[in-house]
Amino acid sequence: MTRHAGWVVLLWVVLTALGLVGAARVDLLPVAAAREARIIDDAFRFLMLLAVPVFTFVLAVLLYAVAAFRARREPPEDGPPLWGRSAVPWVWLAVTSALAVYVIVNPGLRGLAELRSDRHADLVVRVEGSRWVWRFVYPESGVTSRELVLPVGRRVRFDVTGVDVVHSFWVPAFRVKVDAVPGMTTSVYVTPTRTGDQAGDVNFRVQCAELCGLGHHLMAAPVRVVDPGAFEAWVAGGRSP
Amino acid sequence: MAAHVAAHPRYRRLDLRRLGLWLFLLSEGFLFSALIAARYYLLGLQRPEGLNQPLGLAITVVLLASSLTAYRAETAIAGGDRPLFLRNTLATVALGLLFLAGVGVEWAQAFAHFPPTRPVGTVFFTLTGMHALHVLSGVVLLAGVYLHGRRGRYGPGAFWPVEGAVKYWHFVDVVWVFIYPTLYLVTA
Amino acid sequence: MRAIVRGIGWGAAGFALGALAATAAGWAAGRPPRAEVLVTLGYVAGLTGWLLGVGLWDAWARGWFGLPVRHEPDHTWRRYFRFTTDHKVIGVQYLVTFVVLFVLAGAMALVMRVELAAPGPTVMSAGAYTHLMSLHGIIMIAVAVATILGGFGNYLVPLMIGAEDMAFPRLNALSYWLVPPVAVLLVATPLAGGFDTGWTAYPPLSEVNASGQVLFNLAVITFGLSSILGGINFLATIVGLRAPGMTWRRLPIFVWAVFAASLISVTATQYLAAGLLMVLLDREAGMAFFAAARGGMPLLYQHIFWFYSHPAVYIMILPAFGLALEVLTHFSRKPLYAYPWVVGGFLGIVGLSFVVWAHHLYTSGMRESLLGPFMATTELISIPTGLVFLAALGTLWMGRLWLRTPMLFALGFLFNFLIGGVTGIFNADVPTDLHLQDTYFVVGHFHYTIVGGMIFALFAGLYYWFPKITGRMYDERLGRVHFWWMFLAYNATFLPMFWAGVHGMNRRIADYPAPLAGVNLWISAMAVVLGASVVVFLWNAVASWIRGPQAAANPWGARTLEWQVPSPPPEGNFPHPPRVVGDPYAYGVPGAAHAVVAAAGGAGEGGG
Ligand code: HEA
Ligand code: HEA
Ligand code: CUA
Ligand SMILES: [Cu+2]
Repeated sequence: MTRHAGWVVLLWVVLTALGLVGAARVDLLPVAAAREARIIDDAFRFLMLLAVPVFTFVLAVLLYAVAAFRARREPPEDGPPLWGRSAVPWVWLAVTSALAVYVIVNPGLRGLAELRSDRHADLVVRVEGSRWVWRFVYPESGVTSRELVLPVGRRVRFDVTGVDVVHSFWVPAFRVKVDAVPGMTTSVYVTPTRTGDQAGDVNFRVQCAELCGLGHHLMAAPVRVVDPGAFEAWVAGGRSP
Repeated sequence: MAAHVAAHPRYRRLDLRRLGLWLFLLSEGFLFSALIAARYYLLGLQRPEGLNQPLGLAITVVLLASSLTAYRAETAIAGGDRPLFLRNTLATVALGLLFLAGVGVEWAQAFAHFPPTRPVGTVFFTLTGMHALHVLSGVVLLAGVYLHGRRGRYGPGAFWPVEGAVKYWHFVDVVWVFIYPTLYLVTA
Repeated sequence: MRAIVRGIGWGAAGFALGALAATAAGWAAGRPPRAEVLVTLGYVAGLTGWLLGVGLWDAWARGWFGLPVRHEPDHTWRRYFRFTTDHKVIGVQYLVTFVVLFVLAGAMALVMRVELAAPGPTVMSAGAYTHLMSLHGIIMIAVAVATILGGFGNYLVPLMIGAEDMAFPRLNALSYWLVPPVAVLLVATPLAGGFDTGWTAYPPLSEVNASGQVLFNLAVITFGLSSILGGINFLATIVGLRAPGMTWRRLPIFVWAVFAASLISVTATQYLAAGLLMVLLDREAGMAFFAAARGGMPLLYQHIFWFYSHPAVYIMILPAFGLALEVLTHFSRKPLYAYPWVVGGFLGIVGLSFVVWAHHLYTSGMRESLLGPFMATTELISIPTGLVFLAALGTLWMGRLWLRTPMLFALGFLFNFLIGGVTGIFNADVPTDLHLQDTYFVVGHFHYTIVGGMIFALFAGLYYWFPKITGRMYDERLGRVHFWWMFLAYNATFLPMFWAGVHGMNRRIADYPAPLAGVNLWISAMAVVLGASVVVFLWNAVASWIRGPQAAANPWGARTLEWQVPSPPPEGNFPHPPRVVGDPYAYGVPGAAHAVVAAAGGAGEGGG
């Protein structure tokens, strides 16, 4: 019994190490171009760190059992009647409960609080989704655009609404997403941290992420994050259509 | 059913039917809970303006009274008193029809105050309509029970259809006990 | 076959009558009704006609009018095409119907993957893709909800608890015969313009799109009705028809799983019906539940829909858990480890499943204060689910693992579902889900839970009970080939979806940015390989059913009751009610017996 358990632990450690190295080597996440993206990526990596040992533990027991306890043909005798009336289920319950509660708090509630911590905005952009185009309105300057242009380093609040059906405002490079719902306005805050545009990386795009009919796949708009100076110039150029 | 069904008390048909009915009613309860939840989601605690309160109260009383007659019908047949059973079944049917007529009047009036194309009307007509549909099916069941009863189909110890229809009727009544305050009474 | 023809005839007549009545009523009210209203009302009457025609009238409804009910006993293959009340026939009807639907919707997935093999249009328009994708989704959801529960549930629950049939055999037949109209309506949606909403049917889109949506709603409401009636039947059967001595502690774990899943079907399914009914009311009567233009609230639908559809994923997976644990136990030759804990886990899952629905709404714009609570409840579900893994691992531990095909699929189930479950945690975490929602990460998650989980368990069950149901043995070599082929191709297909999703591949699109071309091509190629593995199964199943070697009553040496009767079991199952005297899983306990089953000749010990 202890000999078996020893092997399983060894296998678990090896698999976990392999898993973590693997996870670190795969390019897990695309370009992160906002403060929000960093928070979310941290949460993702942290979950990965927890998920790997959970996964490899089950896998280790499974693989070891198959390797060590397999029978070539119909087993002539039964295995030992272990009913699980020992302390093992209690330990399992305690460990999984602790894990679950821990994951709720961190990265869950902690990340959520972090995302919601800063509710001021340097810039407001009204986003309107209709089938199958995005329209961006900059109320302070009266500019209307089909391209989302943002100054780097400024906190932006997007006020999002849907004109006809539900759409969803998603910028993969920013990692955030909020639905554009007819009859209501939803908000999301983003601070872009890095300049770039769709030509450089496709994740700089506003992608509709809620099925909105036959043209849903067409509903993407380019995103361009520029220096504040260039942004002012763009606004000035766009004011008079 | 084969021999061993009768041999074990567990296998008694009646218990199963009763259990099945309760499960069905539980399920139906969830349907109404969905509609009632939708009412609160859409309207909050706002009360539909222009409901005929006296009429609402009146049909509530009618429906409650019909539960009483239904109960008496069931106990009567259990005790073997067929005339009393028939009288009360008929009374229940009549009260059910009266209730439906009241709902009809209420609908005609409500149409003027809140069309079904606005949230208030949507909620009102769907809730009362779904309930009325259930009342109607209860009336049909009880009418069937009455007709079979007249031909002497039931007696003490053999009146499951009566019991089933009456249980269903009580259920419809209880649902109204939730719908009535939800539509007529609740207010901010 | 005659019954089906008559059902179709009466159904058509009912449809015509209903539509006529609606037209007449409309004209009387001075407003000729719209075509969608006609179809809806016609369908209600047509469905009634179909059911009465196919057998409800003869077998049941005649009794309501004081006429004698008719049922001729039938022992030929024709009974599979009739309103038969034998639970074993109904189980097979479910299994075959839904395996056919699975292959159909799987073939649709392969066509979808061909379209997705390269960016831009390849073989179809984006619109056609959207319709196809939606159809694939809803048919597969029906497959996932009903195949194990309706198929194996019906076939095995009465056998396993020592009953001769379900509590309400005619209601049972009714539940099954509600299914063909569902399949026909869904497959017919393209004739009415299709539906382009995915399987979720979110309004306002579902209120303004083509009329195929009406057929979809009617079909899914009908399916819901079937599911509710089936659930009532299972609960009543399990509570009321257990053989003497079959206490709750001795109930086979699959029966417990069916019990738990049925608790959900009976209750939550009403929300699906209610939500889709509201969509129809908005659409056809101009009501204002969800139509924002008239003051309705689109988010209300999402709450109602997921109040059903989240619990529904446990309707899919609970029977799969039960089935996999059943197989693992018998092929490990050990008692089911921590049995009471598993039962507690099942019931815990049922309870929690009702309070987690809004994890599908993190990005919907619902009140922010709801995010934290729903994240918490959702992640708590991993605790009762974890107990299932505890039992699985504990059962394997020190066992005598007999690696036959059913066992391989059960082990594959554990591996796949674990990936599905753990990625569920990434979805459940609000911060990460803000990015992952509506991407292929989610597609990966649910194909891992449903295909990797439920479908693998289904195959485990198909191989395990194949000899019991058909009386013949499947080909073991082909079974192994099927497993390894499917297991490897399956993981090769769906694992890269997580990567694609994180890297900006969103769901439900026919076209995608060029940098995602490589991963999509790979997925498409592997999907075809995966599809081909199913052909191995189909071949094995059909060929073995026709001319496989005769199977013994208990080829696995398993202890539960269904193995103590001949293969296939006779009508009525047991000549005399079995007497249950012990645990169903007492492997390795000298002298333990599960039940005493009187054979036709005399009394014999069961199990051991
Ligand atoms: C059989 C089907 C099935 C099952 C069982 C599950 C199980 C779970 N699902 Fe999944 N899910 C779907 C089918 C399923 N899901 C479908 C179809 C969708 C998409 C719908 C659509 O939009 O079309 C979806 C979508 C979905 C979402 C929404 C994603 C989005 O659109 O943004 C979320 C978010 O929380 C989620 C979470 C979970 C969780 C936490 C579980 C948990 O139950 C998993 C629990 C299991 C484990 C965690 C593994 C075993 C546990 C242990 C070994 C113990 C130790 C582990 C820990 C303590 C972590 N699922
Ligand atoms: C039981 C559930 C189930 C199953 C088994 C599957 C199986 C498969 N699914 Fe499906 N899928 C869903 C449930 C399921 N899916 C759901 C609910 C959605 C969401 C829909 C929505 O968003 O609304 C979805 C969406 C979905 C998408 C996303 C579409 C999009 O968002 O645009 C994709 C993309 O790759 C996909 C692929 C596949 C593949 C490759 C398989 C493979 O496993 C299929 C394997 C192939 C076969 C089983 C076919 C075998 C048949 C043959 C080889 C033909 C032989 C012919 C004869 C004998 C006549 N599925
Ligand atoms: Cu707009 Cu999808
Ligand atoms: Cu869910």
